[in-house]
Amino acid sequence: MRIVVGMKWVPGTTSVRIDPKTGTLIREGVPSIVNPHDMPAVELSLRLKDKYKGEVIAISMAPPPALKGLEYLIGMGVDRGILVSDRAFAGADTLATSYVIAKTIEKINREIGKVDLVIFGQETIDSSTAHIGAQTASWLNWPYIYYVHDAKFVDSKFVVERVLEDAVEEWEVELPAIIATHMKALKPRPVRLINKIRYKVEKPIMTWTNAELKLDPRCIGLKGSPTIVSKTVNVPEVPRKKIVYTPKSGEDAAKWIIETLMKDDKASKVLMKYLSMEGEAQ
Amino acid sequence: MSSIPTRFDVVVVGAGPAGSAAAYLLAKKGFSVLLVERGKGLGDKNMFGGKVYAQPIREVWPELDKEAPIHRWVTKERISMVDGEKVLTVEYRTEKKVSFVTYLTQLTQWMIKKAEGAGALLASEVTVEEILMRDNRVVGIRSGPDVIEADAVIDAEGVNRLLLERLGLVKKLDPDTVGLGVKEVLKVGEGNIESRFGLDKKEGLAWAIVGDITKGIPGGGFIYTNKDTVSMGLVLHLSKKLLDEGSFEGHVSSLIEGFRLHPYFKPYWKDAIISEYGGHLTITDAIKFAPSRFAYPGLLIAGDAAGLLLSLGYTFRGVDYAVYSGKLAADAVEYARNNGGVNYENLQVYDDYIRKSFMYEEIMRHRGAITLMNSFELMSKYPKLLTKVMEKMFEAEYKHEVIYNSLLQALKEEGISPFNLISQAFMMVKGI
Amino acid sequence: MSQSKGEEKPIKLEDILQSDVWDVDEDPHIIVDSEKCLECPTKPCIYLCPAGCYVKAGDRVIFSYEGCVECGTCRVICPMDAVKWNYPKSGKGILYRFA
Ligand SMILES: Cc1cc2nc3c(=O)[nH]c(=O)nc-3n(C[C@H](O)[C@H](O)[C@H](O)COP(=O)(O)OP(=O)(O)OC[C@H]3O[C@@H](n4cnc5c(N)ncnc54)[C@H](O)[C@@H]3O)c2cc1C
Ligand code: SF4
Ligand code: SF4
Repeated sequence: MRIVVGMKWVPGTTSVRIDPKTGTLIREGVPSIVNPHDMPAVELSLRLKDKYKGEVIAISMAPPPALKGLEYLIGMGVDRGILVSDRAFAGADTLATSYVIAKTIEKINREIGKVDLVIFGQETIDSSTAHIGAQTASWLNWPYIYYVHDAKFVDSKFVVERVLEDAVEEWEVELPAIIATHMKALKPRPVRLINKIRYKVEKPIMTWTNAELKLDPRCIGLKGSPTIVSKTVNVPEVPRKKIVYTPKSGEDAAKWIIETLMKDDKASKVLMKYLSMEGEAQ
Repeated sequence: MSSIPTRFDVVVVGAGPAGSAAAYLLAKKGFSVLLVERGKGLGDKNMFGGKVYAQPIREVWPELDKEAPIHRWVTKERISMVDGEKVLTVEYRTEKKVSFVTYLTQLTQWMIKKAEGAGALLASEVTVEEILMRDNRVVGIRSGPDVIEADAVIDAEGVNRLLLERLGLVKKLDPDTVGLGVKEVLKVGEGNIESRFGLDKKEGLAWAIVGDITKGIPGGGFIYTNKDTVSMGLVLHLSKKLLDEGSFEGHVSSLIEGFRLHPYFKPYWKDAIISEYGGHLTITDAIKFAPSRFAYPGLLIAGDAAGLLLSLGYTFRGVDYAVYSGKLAADAVEYARNNGGVNYENLQVYDDYIRKSFMYEEIMRHRGAITLMNSFELMSKYPKLLTKVMEKMFEAEYKHEVIYNSLLQALKEEGISPFNLISQAFMMVKGI
Repeated sequence: MSQSKGEEKPIKLEDILQSDVWDVDEDPHIIVDSEKCLECPTKPCIYLCPAGCYVKAGDRVIFSYEGCVECGTCRVICPMDAVKWNYPKSGKGILYRFA
């Protein structure tokens, strides 16, 4: 099967700090990484390839530095990467981004071969919209299932498992389809030396600009993006207490937690409120 | 998958200064070279103090001065003796471009790009797990399930030599031979660097600190001025004695914070925020640390892994030694090729190259340096004498005069009799 | 985030470490046999690990690998041979930028 997996090259948000003097973000020296949510998606695509053969193509709509991320995925075992990169795509919101991605998938379908499955991560650490999978599916009119943690063929039918809070659902899906893995679905495999050598020797990377994709300028980039950011708020970090308690038993642990929370003014209020709400509901 | 090479002429493990220099020269000489580095971005695992001696590196890259990410050329050398709040500082000024300050992350990145540009194949984000031995000969490396074979492997893995230990070529790291370096990079601002340290644009300062700044643990402190930041930190010798006594006065971070807040030093970084904090081991006893041989069948050891570091208390020469040993390793491989093949008999010349190099000679000559350094306060009585000695200590492209010799020489030049100096020193020590 | 502004007080290690960047590996690269720590007379790792990865909790020592700066000190100083030490895989771990 031919699987396309999406990758976003994001700033490592845990390393973005705030200048105590100016209150602005310190961007200098913040390295970018592969969006961690995409890792289980890549892992699932590679597991499917291990099982059913075929190829995995990673795509990323991003400026050229994202090549580093595609290199990482190829290091894991992805067959090739397509960087979709053009100034005209800059400033895109999720709508314009998903449009470009959908058109990229169509182009792969036409020119490289039939795409059976597209896998995205659930969301990104730098915006957390979780839009891309659903929007791309809408553009393509393909089925979409999210929170997936496994997928397989059962009697030539494609079955995906998705995890909800209290249940695991199995869905039979008609291919081609789009799925999004949930954050902790699968542990990604490490980068392999042989794959990195292959990356350097074969350079299995293509760059597609809008000259190749030929998309209407009104539908892409800033112009194709109706989203407006009206306001941003700085939420200060809550200082942690960092208490370590070694419980004797599970019961002891629960008791200790309740006791400790009740000793705290704020925590006890929240706790009491919640407990009284529970009482009302009954 | 058949087109993917699994055999190279040379595999270099570790893209630090040593590995990058070896890979660069070998690729330039036409060998197929695989350079394997565990880091993600280039240079992001490399951490050091801050001052690099240029001349040995120019032998590999004559374009160094023009192209490398040099923050500032060192024009001021300072040494301070700290005793509580009392500080004695000596400063020496020079115009010569002998050493420069930079971030090792940036310098290494530059070197790796040079190696790649020359045709070495860089595989980053890959940790080598094993150097492979067959019939008493190193034949390649392994990472995960992947094996790559080579005529020669150059081990440039740095001070923390997991691979050589696993091979059984060196013993587990002995605390008596290494020290822990901790460092803070403080964002001071470009203009502030110049005004506070009394420097011109492009001019830099290297500052060594000895005394109780390490709270009784043998070692010392350092300060280097980068473009708009200051690198400052401590090196603490990890002796068995220290570990046995276990008498720590607090966490190491409290030592470096004590240094940062020392009343004499803190005005230099007033209002600065911490840009980075790091820790790394460094060699404190190069002779004990060195492997018994530098060349083994199929294997050459370069840089820190080979114990090639000169630590004089006031100066570290690790980066230039690493680069230079990388060059010697490349020379040895080339010699072997031109003399019948890259086999052990021919590669053994590397051992000779190292032992005859200025680096090895220097390390042997300066065995007792640190002890002598500790008594240098007696020299403060003779500022003129001291500048002479300093000149001999710092203005060296390759060879540093042994302090004792520079002292004697300077004494002679200044017409002071050693007897006089000793009696003066004695009086001083009694007076403290 | 509490960051230094040349304040007079020493900055706490956990705040100093805010200045660093990691790409944390899924698996720990260092594994500590905490049973051995119970018997360890001097527990030097508590003082000498520059990243404060070893924390004393009663007579136990709790180790967490996430903030490790990969210096190798704990490997060298542990008198009980309790530290199984490796480098992280796939380029993970500390990412120095100004070192
Ligand atoms: C606190 C401190 C201050 C210092 N100050 C100075 C100074 O001011 N001036 C100076 O000249 N020197 C200084 N040094 C010494 C200097 O940093 C070293 O001598 C120099 O970096 C050695 O270079 P190298 O290439 O041998 O090793 P390293 O720079 O350590 O490089 C080794 C490389 O190998 C990689 N590696 C290791 N194992 C593997 C593996 N298994 N697989 C793949 N990759 C691997 C590492 O990621 C690393 O990139 C200082 C050192 C310290 C700790
Ligand atoms: S030094 Fe070793 S045995 Fe002792 S507490 Fe630390 S990790 Fe445990
Ligand atoms: S390697 Fe260094 S930073 Fe990491 S846990 Fe050990 S002592 Fe701490």
